[in-house]
Amino acid sequence: MIRFLLRRLPSVVFVLLTTTVIAFLLPRLAPGDPAAVAAGPEATQQQIAAIRAEMGLNRPLVEQYFDWLGGLLTGNLGESYQFHRPVSELIGARLGSTVELTVAATLIMIVAGVGVGVFGGSARSRLSRFTADATSTGMLAMPPFLAGLLLVILLGVTFRVLPISGEVAVLDDPVIGLQYLVLPAVALAVPMSGGIAMLVQSSMDNAWRQDYVDLAVAKGVGRRRITARHVVRNSLGPAVVAIGIRFGEMLAGAVVIEMIFARNGLGQLAVSSVQSADYNVVQVIIVGAVVIAVVVQLLTEIAMATLDPRVRLGV
Amino acid sequence: MTTDTETTSGAARRESGGAVRRYLAALRTPRGAIGAGLLGLLVLLAVLAPVLFPGGYDDQGDNALAGASGAHWMGTDELGRDIVARTIFGLRTDLTLLLTAVPASAVIGTLMGLAGVISRWLGAGMQRLLDVILGFPGIVLGMSVVLVLGTGWSALFVSILVIGLPLFGRQARAGLQVEQEREYVLAARVLGVRRRTVLTRHVLPNIVDPIVVNAAVYMVVAVFIEAGLSIVGLGIQPPIPSLGAMLNTGARYLEVHPAYVMGPGLVLLLLTLAFTLLSNALNKAVLRR
Amino acid sequence: MNAVPQTIVPETRHDEENALLEVRGLRTEFRAAGGTVCAVNDVSLAVRRGKVLGVVGESGSGKSVTARSILRMVPEPGRVVGGEVLFEGRDLLGLSEPNMRALRGSEIAMVFQDPQSALNPVLTVGYQVAEALIVHGVDRRTARRRALELLQQVGIPDAERRIDDYPYQFSGGMRQRVVIAIALAGSPSLLIADEPTTALDVTIQAQILRLLGRLRDELDIAVLMITHDMGVVAETCDDVVVMYGGRVVEQGPAEMIFSRQEHPYTADLLKAMPRMDEDGMRRLPAIPGAPPDPAALPSGCAFHPRCRLAEDECRTTVPELAPRGGTGQAAACWVTGRGAAIPPLDRAPADGGDRPGPGGTSLLSVENVRVNVASERRSLFGRPDPVYAVDGVSLSVAGGETVGLVGESGCGKSTLARTIVGINRPAEGTVRVGPDGVDAFTGAGTRPLRSTVQYVFQDPYASLNPRRTVRQSLGEALEMRGVPRGARAAEASELMRRVGLNEGYLDRYPHAFSGGQRQRIGIARALAVQPKVLICDEPVSALDVSIQAQIINLLESLRDDLGLGYLFIAHDLSVVRHLSDRVAVMYLGKIVETGPVDAVYSSPQHPYTVALMSSSPAPDTTARDRERIVLTGDLPSPKNPPSGCRFRTRCPIGPLTHPERRICAEEEPPLAETPHGQLAACHFASEMAVLS
Repeated sequence: MIRFLLRRLPSVVFVLLTTTVIAFLLPRLAPGDPAAVAAGPEATQQQIAAIRAEMGLNRPLVEQYFDWLGGLLTGNLGESYQFHRPVSELIGARLGSTVELTVAATLIMIVAGVGVGVFGGSARSRLSRFTADATSTGMLAMPPFLAGLLLVILLGVTFRVLPISGEVAVLDDPVIGLQYLVLPAVALAVPMSGGIAMLVQSSMDNAWRQDYVDLAVAKGVGRRRITARHVVRNSLGPAVVAIGIRFGEMLAGAVVIEMIFARNGLGQLAVSSVQSADYNVVQVIIVGAVVIAVVVQLLTEIAMATLDPRVRLGV
Repeated sequence: MTTDTETTSGAARRESGGAVRRYLAALRTPRGAIGAGLLGLLVLLAVLAPVLFPGGYDDQGDNALAGASGAHWMGTDELGRDIVARTIFGLRTDLTLLLTAVPASAVIGTLMGLAGVISRWLGAGMQRLLDVILGFPGIVLGMSVVLVLGTGWSALFVSILVIGLPLFGRQARAGLQVEQEREYVLAARVLGVRRRTVLTRHVLPNIVDPIVVNAAVYMVVAVFIEAGLSIVGLGIQPPIPSLGAMLNTGARYLEVHPAYVMGPGLVLLLLTLAFTLLSNALNKAVLRR
Repeated sequence: MNAVPQTIVPETRHDEENALLEVRGLRTEFRAAGGTVCAVNDVSLAVRRGKVLGVVGESGSGKSVTARSILRMVPEPGRVVGGEVLFEGRDLLGLSEPNMRALRGSEIAMVFQDPQSALNPVLTVGYQVAEALIVHGVDRRTARRRALELLQQVGIPDAERRIDDYPYQFSGGMRQRVVIAIALAGSPSLLIADEPTTALDVTIQAQILRLLGRLRDELDIAVLMITHDMGVVAETCDDVVVMYGGRVVEQGPAEMIFSRQEHPYTADLLKAMPRMDEDGMRRLPAIPGAPPDPAALPSGCAFHPRCRLAEDECRTTVPELAPRGGTGQAAACWVTGRGAAIPPLDRAPADGGDRPGPGGTSLLSVENVRVNVASERRSLFGRPDPVYAVDGVSLSVAGGETVGLVGESGCGKSTLARTIVGINRPAEGTVRVGPDGVDAFTGAGTRPLRSTVQYVFQDPYASLNPRRTVRQSLGEALEMRGVPRGARAAEASELMRRVGLNEGYLDRYPHAFSGGQRQRIGIARALAVQPKVLICDEPVSALDVSIQAQIINLLESLRDDLGLGYLFIAHDLSVVRHLSDRVAVMYLGKIVETGPVDAVYSSPQHPYTVALMSSSPAPDTTARDRERIVLTGDLPSPKNPPSGCRFRTRCPIGPLTHPERRICAEEEPPLAETPHGQLAACHFASEMAVLS
């Protein structure tokens, strides 16, 4: 296991470092003067110059980068031009909301995706296979925001059974909080579950054709036990990897879902920061999103290793 | 050793033959036929948009946010423009974007994946670069692009292009590694065929199929990217319609005028459904041997 | 195709009361969009208690489908549509699925061909053995204890420690032992073994066959053995059923079948096999054509298009299986049914009697080549240690001469071959080509290498680009020789004639050809550049027996007509004997014995050569009781070769049996001349001559 991690480490570190370089360079690549943008449209030349000095834009690029990176590592993230408050405070206030959303959506994705996939992969009748196919194709084709909008129209506008806008933290008030969470989480999870379901189903179809299934049949093992012990066990690996890869997409999807359901999470902060060129905030969010995506991917690779002994022992 | 049933299956017969024939076979399956038919219809609508709606997408009437009527099948938007007309023109925007950015991404990504044949260092460097891109969640990368280029068509084009690179690059590299070890490739090398000829004659044709299938898969993702960025206001800017941009504004009038999001939403769903079915059918017919 | 399945009771059951399994009139069909394929047609056979029945046939003969039909495990879209499968009096085809499931694994068990894929990669072997007991109602604790006993019984060394290991941690032979342990778990009375040793090396095959024989003797298990290998049948089976085109064409006791064949197919198939005790002065009498595609069987007797005795009746009406001679033998043939004997084949001598023979000067010489196959990628821990798959090998090939290179998988023979033609790079040593001995790996050597040495691949399905027509494939090779575009069509036609194919096939794609035809195309492509030496890497091992002989004959006549030199790589000792003038035996990257083929085969000096020969099954029941040397253990990894003599960890005369022979572990034996004229690398070389 440690060997496995050591092997992956160089590329992970490289990806993260490059990401910080890109995030750092973004404002400098953008047209216009970051200081002028930060100062706002009515600032005078002196004010802009003062801000430039304050932002350290006069110093060599490399020095600026290491300063910024140091701040990133020590938690000193600078201040938002838009809200005139420390970035750490802005992010801290909104982190919980996004974490709630993504965790809930991930759980739904795993349950629904694996559920539909296993159903399809173990089904024998034409009807149930068709049902599973249709369900996963439909889910896959359904963009999260569209699922969100449809859910809003159906359950929020037409039937008004669940709240569609705003939020209450689950930890503060579990009952109300969950009610606010259900729709956005479902909307976010739907297309990803479709992908997981298809993957599980196709790798189960593949596993059914393997010789070890024949051997199990010849041993006298029943179909249900073959499904559970031999087929599903061999098919979950690709699904776990896919869940890891999709976690990044989950973060991305959260941005859109937060807009639709008016949740005050990091996504909304990101969008408004991009719109108002609030670089300090955007940079941190970009680096944060990549760090989370990469770390989750690494975690799933570890999970994969425990599922499959060949990966675990580095064969 | 061969097994008894080997010769009975037609698998061996299906594996080769003309590329065109295999793609046509994909279209003859139920999924392929429905997907292709749906896509054909949507493309036709988009192409004919100026003919169907001579007034264009920006023809403002008096009635803002009107309900369905004979003149406006799905009503009008906040500026009194016909929603159906704007949806079809939005579809035109989306399809133009997809059908340029996705192929561009496939070509550039494939070339990056194949860079290893020029030099090992270049190949390794490209892979690292693709790793970095892959680390970025789609919309986060899109937001970074918007920061640099500002909102609009070109930012969406670049986003779709860049986000797809790892998909195609990794596929191409994996294909290259498999194909280079094929015995007929070794046979050509033993004959003394030049590297470049081996590559274009024996290796590349066998890499193309999975790339095409992936491009179909990526179309769906690209729709998500366009709509996702537009819906949060970082995509196509008014007055130009796009499906995502319409969802963005329509979402504000959900309670008073649900049809506003239904129109573009439905078309968007049909679009992703068409590509999903098509990519499924292609995957089964072209790649399975 | 639409004949009503007949349930003829075979009158050949000489031990009727002893029949454990009786199949009567079995018919299995595969229904697909293109029509119905009858893979098994009116097959009847019987397995006696405690005896081994061999079902032998080539690809498409229906032997595997027959085996699966018995256990009702025919893959979709196949189904058994007629006949009876009587197991201890019960018709298995009429059992309910739960009853059938209860019977599988407990009364009838199955062993599969490929141990690499038959075990579930994510479950421990102990669990997989125990599961066979758990599903039949044994509790977990007992099942695990019994699993351990079973693993010990099938000869897994150190079973207590290895019971929780995963399949990939075992070698192929050990995995097959695990599969056998699983089969034995329910103490079945019948074991169906589907090509149980085909995927294994000769010395491992001998171990597994010996194990199966021991189990039959100790546990009194009857075995239904499916195989394509007449040698395996002769070594292990009591009774034989020969299948062709989905039907039984001949059956009877093994001694009878091997001494006197009543069906021309059986007779000619046995003669078409090269023999280890026969030199190659004469051509093999090959059966023309290829085994039929079950989807397009010829009318009448399916063998008639390839049969030298065929008459009009054979072309129209299917002959019935009828008893012959009251000895339990039966055959389905119109001609021999009338009492006509099968006339002996006149074996054509090599063209014109004498072959030109080896032509003096060496055209290819390999000098002290070492090949490092370790991955070149640097890891965090630095460059990996070198792994020499080929470790200091020298040999040479002259014009008109065949040098046989023999060894088991992993011995480095293919790596050596690929290094010679430049696919791999040697770490040390040189390869010289042409009469002038140009160093092949210098800039000036590339061109002579390509025009002198060409390669024939093992797998005819992988070595032709499926997207290119035969003309394109040959054209590419002709272009390399510098044949102008206009002359290529004529040259391509000539090449096709040369390898015995119709020139009208030039514009077809590879998928339109059978395996044997593809191999001919592969040979034609190699010949297109007019090479002096062909490296043949197991060119016949993927082919059916009846096709093998055709390709061997083709290679022989090409050699003699064109004065080609061959480096012929194979694991099949009899094929090498038939073709070669000189032979080299490789073990773990080194040549352990080399010399004139007669000397090596008649008096092998290295214990490994002796073991290889003694492990190779001969298609002759009289050879069954010969003294056999079965090696223990597996080939060690070239990553970590044993010190001194590399063979000492498995050697029957080394430190394993003679602990005082420390020299074997301390000193590497050089290749030294022996009294019989060959070179052998063994400290105690002469000792084996006595043993064999």
